[in-house]
Amino acid sequence: MTRSRAIFLLLAFLFLALYFLLRQEAVGPLTRTRIMMGTVVEIRVYDDAAEQYDDAVSAAFAEMETIEELMSPHRPASDVSRLSAADTPIAVSTETLEVLQLAQDVSAASHGAFAATLGRLINLWGFAEGEAQLPALSEIEKALAEIGPAALTFQGNKITKSSAALAIDLGGVAKGYAIDRAITVLAASGIQHASVNAGGDMRLLGDRAGAPWRIGIQHPRQTGAVLASLKLADRAVVTSGDYERFFEQDGVRYHHILDPRSGYPARLCQSVTVVAEQAALADAVATAAFVLGPELGMVFLRETEGVDGLIVAADGSIEVTPGLQELIEWP
Amino acid sequence: MTSSAVDPARLAVERRRIFLALFSALAIALHTLEFLLPSPVPWFRLGIANILALMALFLFDGKAAWSVNMVRIVVASLFLGTFLSPRFFLSLSGGVLATAAMTTSRKLAGEKIGPVGVSVLGATGHAIGQLLCAWILLVRHDGLWYLLPFLLLLAIVGGVVNGFIADFLLEKLRKMPAFVKESADAVADE
Amino acid sequence: MALNDYWQRLTRLDRGIVLALLTFCALVFVVLGLRSPGQSVQVRQNQGTVFNAPLAEDRSVELQGPLGVTRLEIANGKARIISSPCPYKVCIGMGEIHREGEIVACVPNRLLVQVIGQQGVEKENRYDLLSR
Repeated sequence: MTRSRAIFLLLAFLFLALYFLLRQEAVGPLTRTRIMMGTVVEIRVYDDAAEQYDDAVSAAFAEMETIEELMSPHRPASDVSRLSAADTPIAVSTETLEVLQLAQDVSAASHGAFAATLGRLINLWGFAEGEAQLPALSEIEKALAEIGPAALTFQGNKITKSSAALAIDLGGVAKGYAIDRAITVLAASGIQHASVNAGGDMRLLGDRAGAPWRIGIQHPRQTGAVLASLKLADRAVVTSGDYERFFEQDGVRYHHILDPRSGYPARLCQSVTVVAEQAALADAVATAAFVLGPELGMVFLRETEGVDGLIVAADGSIEVTPGLQELIEWP
Repeated sequence: MTSSAVDPARLAVERRRIFLALFSALAIALHTLEFLLPSPVPWFRLGIANILALMALFLFDGKAAWSVNMVRIVVASLFLGTFLSPRFFLSLSGGVLATAAMTTSRKLAGEKIGPVGVSVLGATGHAIGQLLCAWILLVRHDGLWYLLPFLLLLAIVGGVVNGFIADFLLEKLRKMPAFVKESADAVADE
Repeated sequence: MALNDYWQRLTRLDRGIVLALLTFCALVFVVLGLRSPGQSVQVRQNQGTVFNAPLAEDRSVELQGPLGVTRLEIANGKARIISSPCPYKVCIGMGEIHREGEIVACVPNRLLVQVIGQQGVEKENRYDLLSR
């Protein structure tokens, strides 16, 4: 070719290269992070003009803060704290009522593998404060007194405890509820593609702007590795694992998912991942299935409507509910 | 002028030996100089020592180019104290691939390719050779190859510059009696 | 113009080679320019990960290598090497990176700095969010 044409072509290519390298990056999600509920909460909004939703995201965080104010056992004015301290029936907010009702339902359906009344037991183990220690058997037995299905009675929005010593802890479900409320706020602002991720428990609004969300499941024994990934949209995913909060004593690992029936950490699973429409349900069901173990847990997952999941048993074997099988991808 | 008593073939052989020794020495000097010189543009390395190998290739043949480059790499690393260090192996693998690229291209294309073309191909070979060595020896990560476009750009520029320098030098040298075409032909027969 | 004189000295094949290589280079840059922005910076040394930080937070890091200290700066969502004990400073010359997969490396000091995507996961293990 002629010299001038060669040079022209070359310049054209170089301009193209420069253009692509230097252009401002326009696409990318709006990402906001806050520390609350004892973990890092991240909200992502996917939209061509995602910046306009900054206020909506702040409102979603505010809503989660409100829920924490209502349900945290560490805030003395919360419904949970007041209920734990009460010796007479007290009125709680609609939100707390909703969550307590859900906890009761899951508790009954799982035959006691889940409970909202484990406040004393949880304090005893001390995982929340970060100073966990092995309690004495007698203390555990005391902490388990009266936690059965008749522990709480509901009258309108008033809750009565069967024993004044009962303490409430909604740790296995409150975070999920907060996530659900945040999603509601986001959806109300017109957002169509978003994710709310609270330290590994999450819910997705819509898809990821045209493609499904790829949700990785943490491998329970290999840090940095993924057990499997799920292709999801408009769903909540919650994983309960024995690897998040634990301490070791005399070669035995004690983790934070306690079996209400024994008062000790549940030993039958390494992790359970539950997919449901709402995070609160997924949260509670995941905890219950973890305690139930691979066999009974699987039955529980299958019986519970609108719920799918994956259980990693203590020996590392994995079972998946039928509804999840098309959505799962192995590495 | 040579006297008729000297066998022209032997003369050509001796001439080649002496010039290659000279080229090698110059290459070592340039390599060392480039290494020690604080250049104005910090990351830019021309690889000017390769010019001598280029000249050996065009004035003599492929074998000559190999000797100049290999001697240069080994001896310069001895001078600089980097012999058998990772730097040395990077330099060696770059040099091997560069020289291979240069000699092969000259062999395949003959007169159709000039010093600039050969030099650019050599510089490209050098960059790839160094990346390969770095990948195997040092940084076993596929992401390393993201460096290739940058190194390639540097290689192309350096190759072109070196090629032109070699081209001008060759033009001058070819007029000298030692390199007038007939004696070059005589040497090529060796 | 003087440039023309230089161009004339090249054979046709020479010109073809130079243009082809430059074009290839430009194409690679175009492809690299198409990548999406990354989330965090990961520094690797000898197969191990030495350092990891989000791109969103400004910071300055000193990375230790066999030749000495290489300084990495993360600012305004971009990462670049600002000083290094290597002889040719190719790593500094490579400029700043912020797109997923982009790399600057100081090979003499054995450091590989790469921008990686969501959750700090590389190409092979791609997911948007991690449930744990």
